[in-house]
Amino acid sequence: MNALLEAKGLTVRFPMPKRNPFAKRDFLEAVRGVDFALAEGRTLGIVGESGSGKTTAAMAAIRLTGPATGEVRFRGEDLLALGPEEMRLRRRDLQVIFQDPYSSLNPRDRVSHIVREPLDLLGVGDDASRDARVEELFSLVGLRRDQLPLFPHQFSGGQRQRISIARALATNPKLIVCDEPVSALDVAIQAQILNLLVRLQGEFGLSYLFISHDLGVIRQICQDVAVMYLGRIVEQAPRAALFSRPLHPYTQALLAAAPSLARRKSAGYQRPAKLKGDPPSPINPPPGCAFAERCPKAQAKCREERPRLAPDGDSLVACWFPG
Amino acid sequence: MALLEIDELKVTFRTRHGPVTALDGVSLRVEAGETLGIVGESGCGKSITALSVMGLVPSPPGNIAGGAIRLAGEDLVGASPRRLRKLRGSEIAMIFQEPMTSLNPVFTAGDQIAEAIMLHQNVSRAEALTRAVALLDRVGIPEARRRAEDYPHQLSGGMRQRVMIAMAVSCQPKVLIADEPTTALDVTVQAQIFDLLNDLQRETGAAIMLITHDMGAIAEMADRVAVMYAGRVIEEGRADDILDHPKHPYTRGLIACIPNVGKGEGGEPPPLAEIPGVVPPLHLLGAGCAFRERCGSAFDRCAAERPRLLGPAAHPAACHAVEEGRP
Repeated sequence: MNALLEAKGLTVRFPMPKRNPFAKRDFLEAVRGVDFALAEGRTLGIVGESGSGKTTAAMAAIRLTGPATGEVRFRGEDLLALGPEEMRLRRRDLQVIFQDPYSSLNPRDRVSHIVREPLDLLGVGDDASRDARVEELFSLVGLRRDQLPLFPHQFSGGQRQRISIARALATNPKLIVCDEPVSALDVAIQAQILNLLVRLQGEFGLSYLFISHDLGVIRQICQDVAVMYLGRIVEQAPRAALFSRPLHPYTQALLAAAPSLARRKSAGYQRPAKLKGDPPSPINPPPGCAFAERCPKAQAKCREERPRLAPDGDSLVACWFPG
Repeated sequence: MALLEIDELKVTFRTRHGPVTALDGVSLRVEAGETLGIVGESGCGKSITALSVMGLVPSPPGNIAGGAIRLAGEDLVGASPRRLRKLRGSEIAMIFQEPMTSLNPVFTAGDQIAEAIMLHQNVSRAEALTRAVALLDRVGIPEARRRAEDYPHQLSGGMRQRVMIAMAVSCQPKVLIADEPTTALDVTVQAQIFDLLNDLQRETGAAIMLITHDMGAIAEMADRVAVMYAGRVIEEGRADDILDHPKHPYTRGLIACIPNVGKGEGGEPPPLAEIPGVVPPLHLLGAGCAFRERCGSAFDRCAAERPRLLGPAAHPAACHAVEEGRP
């Protein structure tokens, strides 16, 4: 596969405060040896619960959080090895859409300036061409020209997310990290934004690294899916394989948890694979499979020995008893 | 007589655009043991409906301008603040959307639940705390005794929402109002909370009013559904009828815009159906149907005349196109 972005052994460790001056320092390993590859013009979804490390993995890949170790190749070049100024210039190709459309736009800035700022910072074009570009971006994402001088609070949640998308598109990036871009929106608005993202991808050949906890959204927009649990990828598969034949019990539980119109209270629907409790702490994680405590199929082996990602049909799965 | 009846409720707010009508003749009823889903986008009046029942509409600027709310026959609109305080928590309880902001950060989870118990039942503090621990255990918090001593910031989002639920059910209310109880949560935790609410309802026979913007949640939780738009109920019926045979174009849109986790289809899913635009600001509502700007079936009558809730009593809808049998 001709990968645009390829991560190998990506690891992010955060040092924790010491309990006392003589104590050994604990580390929180948010991402533990993650490999993934994203081909040009495609969308890779990373799905998992809060705390699974999905956002940290994606942000570490484009160096928005650190300190990361491992290797992240973007068009063959290791991003983690770049100096600060080289990395800054590379940001032209790497943009982000954040989860919360309320806190990710400066409330004291006019939206025209918010969308223009990446062009100013990266020195793209001249003054007049930047203004023209902002107007073009506004119409691309479905906003009107007369809304250019307004402030973020004058827009609804969905419109703000359109502004975020316009800002991410400003420098004509190759890759956009979408960090739960629709989870703060009503479902009716969510559909608008998802369709917009798909349309823009076709128009500009964008690649998305798409983070979500909702498998319905993932299925709608991602060709490839990686399921993360406690800092590791536990299953990775093309869309068709993941949704027709989920192999990891955690993936199955996520699918059972996704709301669906077919699951009717009136028909006496009972959820088959119930997930109990919360994931274990990422500080000193258990030695075996991290999911063993919540897994309906767990055996003694699962608690002692950690399963590695291994191929199974079209999928990769890290489970001793997949299927 | 239903357990909870809302009759032609009208709520107005004073705003800088002049008075606006947030609820315009909303009528709903919920029976004991039944879950009524109230669905619609932000700004449709779902939460104001819930706050009206709780007697928590901020006044001023809000004002209940007309209509009645009756709990087991007792009028709540005209009830004294003292009587309402008595009913809140013991007869009607509410689970709020944001567990982080609705729990008190300086008291432990156990203390907050015990407070609700002591307010409404004549028990000692020790007894109330014991009951609080039992409730935490019931809502599925592991090591409940230890967790009761935790402050809200020490709990995960899902656990905080469980504490909210434990508090809400502590006095076995007859009516439980859940205002988007899972929007801030992961789908896995959402599934746990839904299962918990369904279990509690089976045990206590409480009526649940579930407020949501997600038709998927409606399918799993609701027996009956009221769809709201711009302060009115625009369609109502049994959950199956609404989900399988939606009438109003807005209801159809809300159902069609849900991404599906359906099995087997490997190819590119078709684009999602969209409802274009957003809910109009209430002060800009004209004479006609509030949905007409976003509606594919709108015709001239929709601009002139506001549709009324018509059709069979079991499944009425407020739409001129439906009334006239237009496609």
